[in-house]
Amino acid sequence: MDYRITKWLILGVIVISGCGKVAKENSENAHFNIVTTTGMIGDAVTNIVGDSADVIALMGPGVDPHLYKATQGDLQKLTGADLIFYNGLHLEGKMGEVLEKLSHLKPVVAVAQNIEDTKLRKVPEFNNNYDPHIWFDVSLWIEAVREIDITLQKQDKRNAAYYHKNAMNYIKQLESLHAWVIQRVGTIPKEQRTLITAHDAFGYFGEAYDIEVKGLQGISTLSEYGLRDVSVLAKFIVDHKIKAVFVETSVSQKSINAVVQGAQERGFEVSIGGNLYSDAMGEEGTPEGTYIGMVTANVNTIVEALK
Amino acid sequence: MEALQIILAGSLVAIACGLLGCFLILRKMAMVGDAISHAVLPGIVLAFLFTGSRDSVTMLIGAGAIGILTTFLIEFFHKKGRLQTDASIGVTFTWLFAVGVILISVFAGKVDLDQDCVLYGEIAYVPLDLWITDSGQIMGPRVLYITGTVLIILIAFISLGYKELFLTTFDPAYASAIGISTAVWHYLLMGAVSLTTVASFESVGAILVVALLIAPPATAYLLTENLKKMLLITSLLGVVISAVGYYLAAWFDGSIAGAMASVAGLLFMLAFLLSPTNGLIAKHRRKKAILKPSGV
Repeated sequence: MDYRITKWLILGVIVISGCGKVAKENSENAHFNIVTTTGMIGDAVTNIVGDSADVIALMGPGVDPHLYKATQGDLQKLTGADLIFYNGLHLEGKMGEVLEKLSHLKPVVAVAQNIEDTKLRKVPEFNNNYDPHIWFDVSLWIEAVREIDITLQKQDKRNAAYYHKNAMNYIKQLESLHAWVIQRVGTIPKEQRTLITAHDAFGYFGEAYDIEVKGLQGISTLSEYGLRDVSVLAKFIVDHKIKAVFVETSVSQKSINAVVQGAQERGFEVSIGGNLYSDAMGEEGTPEGTYIGMVTANVNTIVEALK
Repeated sequence: MEALQIILAGSLVAIACGLLGCFLILRKMAMVGDAISHAVLPGIVLAFLFTGSRDSVTMLIGAGAIGILTTFLIEFFHKKGRLQTDASIGVTFTWLFAVGVILISVFAGKVDLDQDCVLYGEIAYVPLDLWITDSGQIMGPRVLYITGTVLIILIAFISLGYKELFLTTFDPAYASAIGISTAVWHYLLMGAVSLTTVASFESVGAILVVALLIAPPATAYLLTENLKKMLLITSLLGVVISAVGYYLAAWFDGSIAGAMASVAGLLFMLAFLLSPTNGLIAKHRRKKAILKPSGV
């Protein structure tokens, strides 16, 4: 009898799973389907393709890419995509490994793949491990956008000229953004130029725009800060009379509050300078929901609080 | 095709975890899976510190080694320290997890390294995570091979050692009396548990494994008092959970692992209420029948 139950169950599974196929047939329309992991990549692709292709970014506003959990629909989006872009450099964790394998079946491109090693920030002591947060340096992000542009021209030849024109326009905007950030950060007096955040994501920003970056935690969310880290950082703030520290939209505020209190106990008032967008952009439809808006908002928050 | 592959992967993991879970529940060690999911942290940190690589195979080896150490320590403290198993599990995994956190903050604070991003798999990616040979041949989903192999080893282990496992679980004193070493069989079982859980974490993620290790055997426990039937019901439940969970996730576009674990919980509640022998309703009726004997 038990055998019979097993047989019916297996049959049932096969019948039900057959039903799922119907929905997929209507992907015949001519639109080119592009899926990206982070919102920043999605924004760059949207700027290049305009209305001539569909762009879906899997990770929405406020999502930490390190901890992203897939839904059933994501699988459909990935299998239905004509082209997939991801960040690379281990930003997506294990998902990155899966995407790398998928590149045997369809075009899958890591936007960071052709950036020279020398421009990337190596993790001390561990070769071949790089800081993945390349979008904090607009000039590096331009290289990622070039990679997207080249890939799009290759994959969708009909619209190649149109894509390239848009890409050039977008890169021009990014170049003036880069110049603007340099100029804007330059208005902070040199000795005030220290950016203190909860976790260590702003390394590229610091290198590109000549501002010292100090994070309380390492990159991994499990590398918890020690009591000594808090007191060392609090002492640093008092000694250098740092005006403000910053919190990030995707990381808890608690740790940075401990630093603010530590400084208060030493008789120094440091304020919280505001929220910075680090691993994800703002809500869709707001100015911070685009890459350019996100960088602009971050820089304005930093400059206003530190000047 | 994708649906079938995911359901198949879910079923393979569910059956493997469920079969072991039956023995764990009967030995009052149900939380050992949860313990291993935390305790493997120092394993992946050490594997990274030695190799500088974060790819799956390296992480799997590190996690597997510490997984076995975990189960060994649990049993060691239980036997030699006369500690209850739950206390022994609690001490072991919190300590190992803490060692992992310290290792990260001292040596690897600048690297993104934790179970969530380097070890735990995601069942939604099973159809995409292909096994590609060096010559470029595509062999199909890698996870199906791994979980399939684990399940075959496990079924061989349980069928060959069924008598020993049965006796050491229910009547250790008698087992010792007739010359079966309870310690050896316990370590063998625990070795199987760490192999299965670590391979399953890597394939489908932690939540699903911890849920499947306990919920289906607990449900089966309410439905039968025969170990063989319990193992069989658990396996069937695993397939049902996997299929229903997948379509539930498809219906509201949610996490597949979350949906499967929820279905496992729901089935347990159903058995809890409706089981003909141990169900709440059946018990209530029986009580009434005793209070009001028929014919009065």
